Amino acid sequence: MQLTNVMASLSPRKRGEGALAPARRKLKIPYLFIFLCMSPWLFGIIFFTAYPMVTSFYQAFTKFNLIDKPEWVGLENFNRMLFEDSDFWLSLKNTVWIAAISIPLRIAFAMFTAWVLTKPKRGSSIYRTIFFLPSMVPAVAATMVFTYIFNPAYGPVNRGLEAVGVNEPPFWFMDPKWSKWGLILLGLWGIGDTMIIYLAGLLDVPKSLYEAASIEGASPWQSFRYITLPMMTPVIFFSFVTGVIGSFQYFTQAYVASGQVNDYSHAMYFYASHIYFTAFRAYEMGYASALAWVLLVITLVCTLIILKTQKRWVHYPNGSLFK
Amino acid sequence: MAEGPAWICQMTGENMQKKRLFASFAVTALVAGSLVATTSVATAATRSVTVWSPYKGGQLEMWNAAIKRVEAENPGLKVTSVGSIDMSKSVAAINAGNGPDISVSNGNGNLGWFCGTGAWQKLNVLIAGKNGIDMKSTFTPSAVASSISNNNRCALPLYSEVFAFYWNKDALAKAGYTKPPKTTTELLEYSKKLTTFNSDRSIKTAGFVPWAGYYGFDMDSMWLGQMFGAKWYGGDQNSAFSSDPKWAKAFNWQKDFIAKVYGGGDFEAGSKLLLKFVAAKGGEWGTDHDFMTGRVAMKWDANWMAPMFCTGDDWTMAEKCTSKVNFGITGFPVSPDNLGAYGSGVVGQAQMGISKGSKNVKDAWIVMKALATDTKLAAAWDAANGSPSSLRDKAARPANQPTWYLPIYEVANNQKSAYHILKNTGHHLEEALLQNLMASWQNGDTANIKSALSNLAQEVNQIISRNS
Repeated sequence: MQLTNVMASLSPRKRGEGALAPARRKLKIPYLFIFLCMSPWLFGIIFFTAYPMVTSFYQAFTKFNLIDKPEWVGLENFNRMLFEDSDFWLSLKNTVWIAAISIPLRIAFAMFTAWVLTKPKRGSSIYRTIFFLPSMVPAVAATMVFTYIFNPAYGPVNRGLEAVGVNEPPFWFMDPKWSKWGLILLGLWGIGDTMIIYLAGLLDVPKSLYEAASIEGASPWQSFRYITLPMMTPVIFFSFVTGVIGSFQYFTQAYVASGQVNDYSHAMYFYASHIYFTAFRAYEMGYASALAWVLLVITLVCTLIILKTQKRWVHYPNGSLFK
Repeated sequence: MAEGPAWICQMTGENMQKKRLFASFAVTALVAGSLVATTSVATAATRSVTVWSPYKGGQLEMWNAAIKRVEAENPGLKVTSVGSIDMSKSVAAINAGNGPDISVSNGNGNLGWFCGTGAWQKLNVLIAGKNGIDMKSTFTPSAVASSISNNNRCALPLYSEVFAFYWNKDALAKAGYTKPPKTTTELLEYSKKLTTFNSDRSIKTAGFVPWAGYYGFDMDSMWLGQMFGAKWYGGDQNSAFSSDPKWAKAFNWQKDFIAKVYGGGDFEAGSKLLLKFVAAKGGEWGTDHDFMTGRVAMKWDANWMAPMFCTGDDWTMAEKCTSKVNFGITGFPVSPDNLGAYGSGVVGQAQMGISKGSKNVKDAWIVMKALATDTKLAAAWDAANGSPSSLRDKAARPANQPTWYLPIYEVANNQKSAYHILKNTGHHLEEALLQNLMASWQNGDTANIKSALSNLAQEVNQIISRNS
């Protein structure tokens, strides 16, 4: 009922009904103008998104080496993916690993950092800037610096570890067993973009709730568990969804780090790397398209599962956005 | 008066005849002229060839000078040279149908793909034709072998890149050796003597480092195979990684080498020490390169690293070496059962081919043949970059190449020097896969080399079969 009133108040008035009348004329004009304004975006979405998507969908069912015309092979690419391509499973395993480890860690670390940043009484903007800055460093540069500081022979990290008595510190990016952990640390270092969302979420929690809890004698843990955490679930949900999508597309850092340390073991070979190498090293565009579409399906399924379960654990003060 | 005198009439009549005659000549000349003009315009329009190359700066100048010579020798032929184009751009353009007539690939690795997919056209008929080339008498053996894939010759070779063995003369002399190791057995023996350790057992200086990823341009496994004479493909055209026992022998030698030289008999310990040693390697392109600092005494490397080793940081050819390292260059040490190959190395060539879709194949062939056999270009290129020519002709060699660099030519011209046989494996994937196996093996992650090689052979065969 309220909404109807609001809509009615916003509906255009008849000619001569007051100040809104001229605005109505302006609104009527410009379908062509609106179309013209939208045309750069329309051009972009049609030629740079829709067309490549349709083309790659078709190519997913073909054998295409860039030079010869695509040859229709039906479901052969998908059959190869599931039953013949060991790199598909290796890259998927690595991708699931990085998603499973990095997403919870990033959420926890971002929330913790944001919480810490709510504490200082003075200079909070300086601290926030300092913590946010790493996320502005280009991924390539950050990865190159990380491979240097984690170098087992001369990197300051291992020097530090040796100085505090760690006899055989890890070889980090040079050791297949540790290289993915190096990438995880790199991701945590650049947590600033996620942290800033958590910070906004934390600052948005009404203080009155904490005051009420305090009066009721709640401990800090109880305040966190029953006020902060539920109030932060929409932010956690958002970073969870974007984290899953981002993890499945994880490429730049892994590509740069692999090149820096010659990762012949393929410990840092992720799904997106597999698509890239299939397309631009093996020149198998058809198979690479099939891999890309499977990635889309996997990401879509994961996202839908998260969306489906969010009713159980995401608390929206004003009701769900996804009813 | 109106008619005038008779002589006037006569004169007028003669004049008229002359005028008619002149007019008819003029018209004929005009028509003929316009026809000739039309024909020549048409000829000029069709007789144009576009060449894309990755060259820039001084290299592009040399290249363009050679193209000018081709134009001068072929009046009416217009050659457009475009530099700074890498192969991915060429491939994209060839795919889109607007590629150049001729494109140049800096290395040898992709030849299988160019020939296999037809991105570069077959040249067999043109080579054997009236204006063809006798490949064997024109090019060095390695260049003849490197420009063919599956009996499809789709490219002509340009200059060579030579991968040879570098040794620190002073370091070897200090250990009592005056000559470089000739066999893999000697290499192990020399290395044992040349390797020193710090008090914490970490490696201080290494003799030789047979390790995938140690300054190897992803080619260490290829060089290892060359030392043992291992074949890449068998007579049945299938991958020979499994069928040629020399591969397993080579990898076992590598493992044994790491254990004996660095691990005191323990492979795992040696591998760990070597991994840390490799992690601390100096930069590849300057004076802190391990070979220049004396951290490593012997190594396999490319000919284009020699000027840098010679002068420290100057990549141009120098008459006399001024850097601290006193080094020699020779062929790879070889396994005792492969002694006949001593003196050889891995030698590949830059390649050029005629693109699929070229509308002027005949002229493209004229240009490509002229560029490939241009001794002036070859000699100038070699003098500037130290890249030995693929041509047998002595005129293709620069007159004053420094004596310290001459062993590179010996390796380049050795009958056993070669690149491996090339098949359509995409972006030479068989090399990458072999390198991955070498890395996994040296880290101790692969337990059974024979079964790993068998799997690898199967994978390579699958790739070739899919691409055929």
